[in-house]
Amino acid sequence: MNIWVENILRYVVLLFLQVLLINNLYMAGVCSPCIYMLFVLFLPVTLPRWADLLIGFAAGLVLDVFCDTLGVHTAATTLIAYLRGLLIKNFVQENERLIGTPSSRTFLLPAFLKYTIILVTSYHVVVFSMITFNIHLWWLTLLQIIVSSLICIALVLLYDRVRTR
Amino acid sequence: MKALLQFFVRYYIVLLFLVLETVAFVLFFYHNKFQQSAILTSSNRVAASIYEVENSLLSYFSLRQENDMLAEENFKLKNRINALENRLENIESDTIDYVFAEKNIEYMSAKVIHGSVNQHSNYFTINRGLRDGVELDMSVCNPEGVVGVVSAVSKHYAVVMPIINEQLTISCKFKKNGQIGLLNWHGGKSSVAKLEDIARHNDVCVGDTILTSGLSAIFPSDIPVGVVSRVNLKESDAYYDIDVDLAVDFRSINNVYVIKQNLRQELLDLEKEQMK
Repeated sequence: MNIWVENILRYVVLLFLQVLLINNLYMAGVCSPCIYMLFVLFLPVTLPRWADLLIGFAAGLVLDVFCDTLGVHTAATTLIAYLRGLLIKNFVQENERLIGTPSSRTFLLPAFLKYTIILVTSYHVVVFSMITFNIHLWWLTLLQIIVSSLICIALVLLYDRVRTR
Repeated sequence: MKALLQFFVRYYIVLLFLVLETVAFVLFFYHNKFQQSAILTSSNRVAASIYEVENSLLSYFSLRQENDMLAEENFKLKNRINALENRLENIESDTIDYVFAEKNIEYMSAKVIHGSVNQHSNYFTINRGLRDGVELDMSVCNPEGVVGVVSAVSKHYAVVMPIINEQLTISCKFKKNGQIGLLNWHGGKSSVAKLEDIARHNDVCVGDTILTSGLSAIFPSDIPVGVVSRVNLKESDAYYDIDVDLAVDFRSINNVYVIKQNLRQELLDLEKEQMK
């Protein structure tokens, strides 16, 4: 599939999935995984970094409009769009970087694992600290971050499996 | 100059990142101001119509429950009509002012097409907007009690800030003795809020009914808010620590009323004039 078509399709599906399904699930208040950010994770490696940032910013803003959480997802997606470039530079060899989409095959599994864990966790840290924003409930925030991140990481790896098979 | 240019070329990624991140935080911290422009909330056309389609599909599943609730309300209203008719027969013509004053309040039915209960700043989107006469700061209720306040309006839709949003505080009173307090929600369960400002000399029991006080221009008085579910008073405290079970079940909310108070503007103007 053309890499642009794939990304646009992935974006639309994720937006609907996040807004219509995941945000409606009430999981005992302890988690709401932001699977939407998977879109930023899987943007083509060849994309220039300024494009990463702008796409990340715009994608976050769209989700914020849907969730009425203005600024929260925007800040988080912009952050991981920035970190993404740094991580790719550090973890992945120059010659491997030419291949389109990040996956356990193009990055090799350890590098891809690190890449996923760092980005997913920092995303959820930002989102939940901004949304919860309450010093008395810090343990609840921590629990939310851990559980949501774990679920999200699992989903990313699952998706990667299905995609690269 | 050249050095400066080189600096920009070299670090433009970091600079761009910082600029975008700053914008995001400005949006976050001035959230309330931006809400006035409805395009940045879920009452904007695209977001709202997607939610409306979702709602029209999902609402079939809760039809039965909705029906029961409406039937119940019908029953209550019928009782009320009876009571009022009886009263009307008894009153003299010189008390006609009372009947007129009641006309201040008009109800408008609306449907919740989207909402959240598991955030700290929860919002609900309803399918009525400017076109239907909805304005900022109108109160929203459902048959069970107070839902919240309209916080953003677009042409066809409006966003409601419910009680279960940390930013909303409601002036309430006890049904039994009219004691006034402030109701606030601090996150956590979507069914429990805190009643504050009740001094320790008052008599508070579990099971006391809490109503709106009507002291603010937003809510009419005597709408059910909830029932006291836990009372705590430490030796050293000057105020009670009270949990209120909210009357409205925010997780299954569907049909609501927007309350229009025709005399509200007049009241606000009058109060403003006095403040000068």
